[in-house]
Amino acid sequence: MSRAIPRLSGGIPLLGHLLEMRRDPVGLMQRCRDECGDVGELRLAGQSMVMLYGEDAQEAFFRAPEEQLDQAAAYPFMKPVFGPGVVFDATPEQRKQALRNRSLRDQAMRGHAQGIAAETERLTAHWGDAGSVDLLDFFAELTIYTSSAALIGPEFREELNAELVPLFHDLEGGTDAIAYVNPNLPLPSFRRRDRARKQLVAFLQGVFERRAAEGRESKDLFQILHTIKNPDGSPRYDVSTITGMFISLMFAGHHTTSTTSSWALLELCRNPQWMTRVVAELDALFADGGDVSYQALREIPTLESVLKETLRLHPPLILLMRKAMTPFQHKDWTIAPGQMVGVSIAVSNRDPALFADPQRFDPSRFAPDREEDQRIFAYIPFGAGRHRCVGAAFAMMQLKAIFSILLRRYEFELAQPAESYKSDHSKMVVQLAQPCRVRYRRRKQSAS
Amino acid sequence: MKIQVDLDLCQGHGVCVEEAPELFALDAATSKVVVLEANPPEALRAKLAAAVKYCPTRALRLVEE
Repeated sequence: MSRAIPRLSGGIPLLGHLLEMRRDPVGLMQRCRDECGDVGELRLAGQSMVMLYGEDAQEAFFRAPEEQLDQAAAYPFMKPVFGPGVVFDATPEQRKQALRNRSLRDQAMRGHAQGIAAETERLTAHWGDAGSVDLLDFFAELTIYTSSAALIGPEFREELNAELVPLFHDLEGGTDAIAYVNPNLPLPSFRRRDRARKQLVAFLQGVFERRAAEGRESKDLFQILHTIKNPDGSPRYDVSTITGMFISLMFAGHHTTSTTSSWALLELCRNPQWMTRVVAELDALFADGGDVSYQALREIPTLESVLKETLRLHPPLILLMRKAMTPFQHKDWTIAPGQMVGVSIAVSNRDPALFADPQRFDPSRFAPDREEDQRIFAYIPFGAGRHRCVGAAFAMMQLKAIFSILLRRYEFELAQPAESYKSDHSKMVVQLAQPCRVRYRRRKQSAS
Repeated sequence: MKIQVDLDLCQGHGVCVEEAPELFALDAATSKVVVLEANPPEALRAKLAAAVKYCPTRALRLVEE
């Protein structure tokens, strides 16, 4: 017994719902939910995509093995960004290996907290007593440094500077859904994407050449990869492939954390009662002058709830996709091989059936008596199941370390009308729309 | 008390191994958790509770018998 999957209204010939996806993806996915229910089909150019909604359907999606719902085939717009041989161009077996990145193991994590705090101090050292800062520029630069130091190595981080920030911005801007038609159309955003990737390859080539010329004994992840040889003596990974790994690590660990940091600070400014509570919590926690340590960061419940609520309302990824490799059954519906399957983080996180008063910024929903994040297939800012973001714990620790410094050193306030801060959803990678400035002022009784 | 593991959720972060090395290890081949003692003694309750609480993927549960 199989029921027909309802089709969403409104697609146009050839392109289907692609233009609506580029204009207002969250609105499109919500409309599909409202019109079709738990299961609904939309079209992106020639590709059919079945959207799954609600806790049960999402659990089925997240528990499906790779052999059934494949992740790589669903993200064609990422291939030109990462390049050949990396992440979504790699086999499932190669990708499973990548998950074992030891820098994300708990043991390594215990060493990352102080480095992130120090990096935050360093990037704000020239701020002075008062001024204003563009959140996208600031947090993008900060998280490129913190993530590369932790995931690749402190020495590699020292090779980086602010000139890399616009390159990553161009790569992120190259994730246009029009890639479902063709990821190499002659569009300005795709040209900028390809140019940025070339510049990054040249940058890394320069790093390796400089290290070789200076005879430096470097030990970071990329230097090690660079020296691995095949049995015939040729290099195992060329510089383009290592660049792809760099880009993939930064896509996973930097733009997401950067966007979340920005929104967390904006929500705290918009909700001063929560700002007051978080600042008091941090002041009390670090009153004895203790370090921003791993253990300290574990017990900051108010800040943690604010971050969780920020991720619920402003998830840096709004849509997760797979491609069906075998017939995929959910209740009475069957998804055919070749169809794409999607779960919308943005829609799920604001589902009134799953969250009380879902449009409201209310961190107390994560307090011990409510714990709305316990429903792990409903609260899904990091996805769920076997493909859940492996960096989720690192991200939360990193966010807490950053705010442990910023909020104890400075007071912040909006520099623009509150409703002028928006996410730009025109690309598959969500960015904060510029301008997005806030003002800061050094706190009078700031802890040392 | 008993330890329940959802292996679909485990990603081998190893928090449980740090919190309660008496009870957990990581499988060398799969990188997933291995429970060393399915029915842990009462003395290890606090360590087990910390492992459950801090598991980043919520893959562990403590079930009272």
